Amino acid sequence: MRILLVEDETKVGNAVSEGLRAEGYEITWAQSGEEGFFHASSQGFDLIVLDVMLPGRDGIEVLHTLRKQGSRTPVLLLTAKDAIEDRVLGLDAGADDYLVKPFAFAELSARLRALLRRNKPEPAGVFAIAGLEIDPIRRTVTREDQRIDLTAREFELLEYLARNHGRVVSREMLARDVWKEGGRVTPLDNVIDVHVARLRRKMDDPFETKLLHTVRGVGFTLSEDGS
Amino acid sequence: MSGLLRANLRTRLTVLYASLLGAALLLYAGGVSVFFLHNLQEQLDLSLHRDVETVEGALSADRNGELQISSREGEADEDDLDRGYLLEVWSADGKLLYRSEQLRDQPLGAVPTGSPDSNRQHAHSLRLPSGMRLRSISRVHHLPDGKAVIVRLAVSQEPLWHEFWEMVTVLGIGLPVTVILVALTGYLVAARALKPVDSMAQRAARITAEQLNERLHIENPDDELGQLGSAFNATLARLERSFDQLRRFTADASHELRTPLTAIQSVGEVSLQMPGDVSYYRDTIGSMLEETNRLTQLVDSLLTMARADAGRIQLHRVEVNLFDLADETVGLLEVLAEEKHQSILIDGNRSISVTADRTILRQALVNLVHNAVKYSPTNGDIRIRIRETERDAIVEVQDYGPGIPPEHRARIFERFYRVDKARTRAEGGTGLGLSIAQWAVSIHGGRIAVECGPKPGSVFRISLPKTVSTVTTTAGHD
Repeated sequence: MRILLVEDETKVGNAVSEGLRAEGYEITWAQSGEEGFFHASSQGFDLIVLDVMLPGRDGIEVLHTLRKQGSRTPVLLLTAKDAIEDRVLGLDAGADDYLVKPFAFAELSARLRALLRRNKPEPAGVFAIAGLEIDPIRRTVTREDQRIDLTAREFELLEYLARNHGRVVSREMLARDVWKEGGRVTPLDNVIDVHVARLRRKMDDPFETKLLHTVRGVGFTLSEDGS
Repeated sequence: MSGLLRANLRTRLTVLYASLLGAALLLYAGGVSVFFLHNLQEQLDLSLHRDVETVEGALSADRNGELQISSREGEADEDDLDRGYLLEVWSADGKLLYRSEQLRDQPLGAVPTGSPDSNRQHAHSLRLPSGMRLRSISRVHHLPDGKAVIVRLAVSQEPLWHEFWEMVTVLGIGLPVTVILVALTGYLVAARALKPVDSMAQRAARITAEQLNERLHIENPDDELGQLGSAFNATLARLERSFDQLRRFTADASHELRTPLTAIQSVGEVSLQMPGDVSYYRDTIGSMLEETNRLTQLVDSLLTMARADAGRIQLHRVEVNLFDLADETVGLLEVLAEEKHQSILIDGNRSISVTADRTILRQALVNLVHNAVKYSPTNGDIRIRIRETERDAIVEVQDYGPGIPPEHRARIFERFYRVDKARTRAEGGTGLGLSIAQWAVSIHGGRIAVECGPKPGSVFRISLPKTVSTVTTTAGHD
């Protein structure tokens, strides 16, 4: 998968391209709007991550021109301002998604995956992770053939973690995707932590192998090795 | 005219008053003059009538039919045409029987023709070829022998006109003098009355952001200038309060921002100096990221409030059932209460609805309930009560926490205001929860207040108007 990253801030650009390379993407990093536009119109990419605030030609402008030329590559906008106008402007110009800075890398990675598998149905089958089986249709969870009773919210939490199995999910992603809370102003961190603790008590505590891990400062992950 | 419009107030007032006065006086003088002239003429006409009767009494005819005038007393003499009358007597067939010498053959009208009666004339003005203005009357008189003669009598109008012009001259000189005197006095009076404006303006010009505690000196609070000054002083007081709040807010905000920044810096520096393994470094970085998250939340909250202050948040009003909203809020936060063995009870009227932006109103309630859970002790209950008064729908959140000391109650909704600085920061939170709640309520035209609970603890009360108000203020700190 080839991703074009257009970002003028060196630190952010470095971190994002390194992080995405580690996830197996092939990254081209352009540091200005002109450079980004040149790459985008001369090579084929599977996805473009475009910063809005760029010197010279800004992201919206680049995106607008690309769309006018008929490019249909999915574009994720990075905006520094959490302003409605910006989002509307971005989506009007033809962006497929946007992310407000500062963003968690886990979130960026999740959004990119979502954009790349667009139009492809999500795997609907049973998740099986190290003896843990989650059936999204019958909404049942078993571990080593023992049935685990979960509340609706706990089940949704576990299902979301299972879908992102092996990757870290941030509290913000959980707040938005599981709790459906939009703003970052609602104090949900404590609520999420309590639910995670309860889930852990039910599905991890009775067993030797721990699956649900807290990654300090980032979020949570469901994986066998706890990295 | 445009120059005059730009001139200062006292000049404009003076010019205006002087013009009005001048116009009024001119009208008055005109009226008086016309009346005076009319009166003079009437008097003249009266004496004319008296004279003509006297003269008629003195007319007779001798045996030959010649006209005799028995007395010519009162006829004008050579030296003074202006005194006494001038006389012409005509026969009915148009023959001149007598003409005063002083007329020097100048006729007092055309030669009479036709029937004698057609030559009757009321008092009227005429002018002799010599330029002399006369008032004349013409009558038909029957001499004792029955013969009709036409008597024309005239008196000079010159004294009348002289008197009239004298009066007009007096008025013509007196009027502008009066107007000028009044204008000068008026200018001085206006200058005196407006003097406080100068001193107020000078004082106001000296007031800057650093000296907002200065006030204008007000001589008489009841007059117009005093009211203006009071209004200005009130504005200054509000400005001073806003500036104070802003200053405090800036100081508090930088403090709140500095706290996580300090943590990041010291954690980073210390761990760089310490030899450690991977898990140690992971922990360090995680700790730094936690502070970053705090910063992000803080900045997001500040941004939200800034947008609210700028009035850039639009309400999407829908019908919101308050009981349902409370239920939903409890559903969200219940786990936190359960961890502390608290229960959240909702009671009251299930059917009360308001028209409000659900997301924003929910934010207010979530923040209040979250606070209640945070500050209530283990096993303490939290009560949410929904009720209504005639005008308002009311949501009360009651906790059994330590309560808020009265001296803090007024300021508890200010941004970053904390009753117990150390404690709250340790519990997390941005210090903006209550001010966001207050903003969320007041943007709906409602009020938020805190009171002492029945036991130790507090009651936070949200009052929302039941009818949709058109309030679109962004009051966040008022």
